[in-house]
Amino acid sequence: MKDEDKEDRLLSLLAARRSDAFWAGQKARIMAARSEIRGIARAWLLAPAAIALVMAFALTRAPRHEPAAEPQAVTVAFLENLDMLDDMDVLEAVPEEEL
Amino acid sequence: MSEIGTDEPQGHAPPEPDETGFSGIIEEHQRHVYSLALRLTGNAAAADDITQETFISAWKHRKGFRGESSLKTWLLRIAANKARSYWRWKKLRAWVGLGPREPDGEAPSLEELLPDDPAGRPEQAAAAAELERRVQAAISALPRCQGEVAALRAQGVKVAEVAEILGMAEGTVKAHWFEARKKLETALGEYL
Repeated sequence: MKDEDKEDRLLSLLAARRSDAFWAGQKARIMAARSEIRGIARAWLLAPAAIALVMAFALTRAPRHEPAAEPQAVTVAFLENLDMLDDMDVLEAVPEEEL
Repeated sequence: MSEIGTDEPQGHAPPEPDETGFSGIIEEHQRHVYSLALRLTGNAAAADDITQETFISAWKHRKGFRGESSLKTWLLRIAANKARSYWRWKKLRAWVGLGPREPDGEAPSLEELLPDDPAGRPEQAAAAAELERRVQAAISALPRCQGEVAALRAQGVKVAEVAEILGMAEGTVKAHWFEARKKLETALGEYL
C-alpha cells in the first residue's frame, strides 16, 4: 500500500462512527438549546418596556407632595407678632400721634 | 446553504445564518466536531456536551466570525478549546479531591454504534465497538500534543490549519504528526 493511501486509511479509522439516528438526535438537541437561548434573549428585549411600565405605574400611584401648608406660615408670622408684645413697653412709650 | 457554511476562508464577514442555515451548518460539521471532541476527551458524554456547546458558542458569537479562516476551522478551534477546558476541569476536580464524576473513557452505548440497517446488526455492532475501543485507546496513549494533532488531522484539517488552531508552528505540527502516525500505525496495524 502506498504511504499516502496508508495515511488516508489511518485518518479514516480515527473518525467517530455513529448511526444516523445519533446524528439526528444530536442536531435536534443543539437546535432546541439554541431556541431556548433565543427565547431568553427575546424575554430580555421586553425588559426595558417592563421597567418603563412599572415606573409609570409607580409614578401615577405615588402620593403627590402638597405645597407647604399656608396656615403654618401664618402661624410663624403670628408668633413673630407675639414677640413684638415684649416691646409693648416701648410702644406704650411712643406718643399716640407718632403711631 | 448560506455563505457561512462554505469551507474556504471568506476574508470578510459572512452573512448571519438563519434557521435553515444554522441547521445546515450543524449537519455539515457535527461529525467533525464530535469526532474531535471524542478523540480528545475519550468520553462519549463529554464529547456530546462539547459538540452542543461548540455550536451554541458559535451561534452566540457569530458576529465575531470574520471569515478569515474556514467555518470548519473556527468550529474545531472552539471544540479543541472546550476539550482543553474539560481536562482542566477534571484536573481541578481531582485536585480538590472530588474525583471523576463519570468513569474515564466512557464508551458510547451500543445503540449509538448500531447501524441503521437492521441486517447484520449484532456482528457489525460488536466489530464497531471493538474498533472504537482500539482507536480510542491508541489516541489516548499519545502525548497530549500528538493526540491533538492526530485528532485534528483525522478531521481532514491541513497541517497549516492545525498549526493555526493549536497555536503551533507548522514544523512542530509536522513533527508531532510524524511521531503520532508511527505509534498509531503500530497500535492499529491490523486495520490498515
